[in-house]
Amino acid sequence: MTIKRREHTDWLLKQVFKGAGLITIGLLGGIFFMLIYNSFAFFVDVKPIDFFTGFQWNPENTKGKYGIAPLLVSTGLVTLGSMLIAVPLGIFTAAFLSELAHHRLKAILKPFIEMLAAIPSVAIGFLGIVLVGPGIAKLFGIANGLNALNGAVLLSVMALPTIITISEDAINAVPQTHREASLALGANKWETLFKVTLPAALPGLIAAVMLGLGRALGETMTVLMATGNASVLPTGFLDAVRTITATIAIEMGEVPYQTTHYFALFAIAVVLFLITLFINLLGEYFANRLRKFQA
Amino acid sequence: MKYYFNCLIVLLMSCSGDNDTIKIKGSDTEVNLAVQLAESFHRINPGIFVSISGGGSGLGIASLLNGTADVANSSRSINEIEIEMFQQKGSPVDSFVFAQDAIAFVVAGDLPIDSISTTDLKNILDGHYTDWTSLTPKNMPINIYGRQSNSGTHDFVRKRLGIDFTPYAKQMNGNAQILEAIKADHSGIGYVGAGYVAHRGSGEIKVLTIYNEKNEKAVSPLDASMIAAGKYYFQRPLFQYYKAGSYDKIRPFIDFEKSEEGKRIIQSAGYYPVNK
Amino acid sequence: MIKKVKYLCDWILLSGSTLTVCLVLVVILWDIFSKGMSSVSWNFISHFPTDGMTKGGILPAIIGTLLLTLITTIFALPFGVACAVYLNEYARPSFLTNIIRACIRNLAGIPSIIYGLFGLALFVQTLRLGTSVLSAGLTLGLLSLPYIITTTEEALKRVPNSMREATLALGATQFETIKDVVLPKALPGILTGVILTMSRAAGETAPILFTGVAFYINGLTTSANQEFMALPYHLYMLSTQHQSIEQVRPLAYGTATILILLVFSLNIIAFYIRFKHRTQD
Repeated sequence: MTIKRREHTDWLLKQVFKGAGLITIGLLGGIFFMLIYNSFAFFVDVKPIDFFTGFQWNPENTKGKYGIAPLLVSTGLVTLGSMLIAVPLGIFTAAFLSELAHHRLKAILKPFIEMLAAIPSVAIGFLGIVLVGPGIAKLFGIANGLNALNGAVLLSVMALPTIITISEDAINAVPQTHREASLALGANKWETLFKVTLPAALPGLIAAVMLGLGRALGETMTVLMATGNASVLPTGFLDAVRTITATIAIEMGEVPYQTTHYFALFAIAVVLFLITLFINLLGEYFANRLRKFQA
Repeated sequence: MKYYFNCLIVLLMSCSGDNDTIKIKGSDTEVNLAVQLAESFHRINPGIFVSISGGGSGLGIASLLNGTADVANSSRSINEIEIEMFQQKGSPVDSFVFAQDAIAFVVAGDLPIDSISTTDLKNILDGHYTDWTSLTPKNMPINIYGRQSNSGTHDFVRKRLGIDFTPYAKQMNGNAQILEAIKADHSGIGYVGAGYVAHRGSGEIKVLTIYNEKNEKAVSPLDASMIAAGKYYFQRPLFQYYKAGSYDKIRPFIDFEKSEEGKRIIQSAGYYPVNK
Repeated sequence: MIKKVKYLCDWILLSGSTLTVCLVLVVILWDIFSKGMSSVSWNFISHFPTDGMTKGGILPAIIGTLLLTLITTIFALPFGVACAVYLNEYARPSFLTNIIRACIRNLAGIPSIIYGLFGLALFVQTLRLGTSVLSAGLTLGLLSLPYIITTTEEALKRVPNSMREATLALGATQFETIKDVVLPKALPGILTGVILTMSRAAGETAPILFTGVAFYINGLTTSANQEFMALPYHLYMLSTQHQSIEQVRPLAYGTATILILLVFSLNIIAFYIRFKHRTQD
């Protein structure tokens, strides 16, 4: 091929790549705009005050009540519960993996964690119905195990791999000099770990928690199958709850397009989107602090 | 690399006009029946592709409106707002009643109550009674297991009793989950389509008989002769809605439902034939 | 002495946590496989469901999942790789490209149901593709894009710049450099990302709920605009909305077993590629 031909091909393909790149970005941006656009249509019909402070989510035909509060509280309850379980478990496991484990043991355990991450959310939700739910019912002597506690336990299982992996990276990234200095000053292995290494890894640990939190917030199928789906304000962990994601999943199919109910679902999707965006941004901020160590 | 383009071309070529698929969506009460009908239909008419989904009567009608279904299974009748939306789109809707159904109210087998009046039922479901003491010697809280707002069954019970459900009623994903919950919760009460309890005469679930006035005889939803006479308080026709213009497309399936084989399948599923 | 007890406690805390996590995985797999293997047989994989889905097999669900994953990959792979190539090879590092990268990273964290909503609004409604395996595949493709872009970019970054410079110095154009030198070197990394994406797409349920999955179809999906059955949705339906839940519980376990086996085999393949590649460098 002549040089001119090759250069021409090169230019052409550069435009192709550019185009593909821009289309991709455009599509992804389109998600954001579609959400905002459709939720504006909602706020035309329902006042934002009612939306954010209304305590009932009951959209039946014309006299619908669109209060997001019970959904927010439900989501918060289940997610908070899952973090209470997953964060200590995850960070201590990460500490074990990076500080205590023999490298052969580590080579066996890391695939374990990856396998846990690979399990689809439906399978976890399924186990919530057949294994964990009845277990909770027996433990607390209640009739039905489909409640916030069930959801919290299952979500923690889903968030654990994320928290463990990123925490482990964070702990590994703490310079060896920190540990050596501490040991040289007379501290032993444990004091070094808890008083020097972990605090030094704190930004990375927070990043891990934020990303795990984001994962738990966005989970749909697990909570749909396992939490009982009553859209009232929950009073405790043993109440049935319905998260934002479950509400969208349940009601999306039954709405005729372009009705208030339809737009309402986009509105709660926007709220969810913004919350997860905020949490991911926080996580990234802390992850950047972590990367400063690695440089 | 060359395989990629070939795959793509084959894929796009297969996106031809989709005239041979019948999409049936809607009522959870009717979905299992529809599946059984489709299984037999396939044996007779293998050329027609039928896809069936549940999700509730509301979903069926909305899908019909949105164009993502050809037939909407609905266990409630279509309401004025929905009819208006169809007319606004310029495609009026027709219906076909293919079976009658009865809603059974179920409790655990060991709860000491066998029949209940519609007034008591009203008070339970709208939250006035919160425990069983007004009806039974047992002092246990009443746990209601119902459906979600997209369910025709939910809608039917609500309208028939003229109440609003208490927000503390648990909203299960389907009839089957309700039965599971009642089996586990001995102080629960739930409502399901009679087809779900017709063959499960186990001791774990009890179907309550219903009476309206004080001196009426209580009727069971499993009593075919009473259903045929229209005497059960919670009996209802099961509808299939379709756009008037697409009757020819779905006619093979509707004809199958009306045939002897179809009727036999409907009856063996626990539903009652239409009184025509 | 007190100190020794404290150290023991610390040790128990750490190893106990790890043990708990491992135990969780073992319990999950044990429960599903032990109760599912009894349902899995050649019949199960190769037959249609019968008798109102209380007997028979899950063939259409398996085929549906495979078809769906194929469509997802066909659409996500070229766009994702092209976008990553553009960002890494062509675009000059600027404020804009940093913003774009940040957006892509954040889009990876968006809940999958929101992608489902978008797929419903765009593919099913606006583009009038209706509920079909095509709509669902495109939606899952969108879901996979951020992940493919990030992993491809990482694979591309690992190719040393010296190779690019050498090729260019020998007279090749930028595209030829990418085509013949950079991409082949980055291929294992890209492949790993693609296979992990496929594994994730196979297990997703939320995005396909309203874009095309059906409870039951009476034939195999042969055209891209038909509805389809899928393993994760089948599991969901069998365990929550089927008529006789207890009767089909073994079938549900069997479906879960097949789904997890599928996902795990894809992950193992990806793991193997990554392992082989690492030992090469």
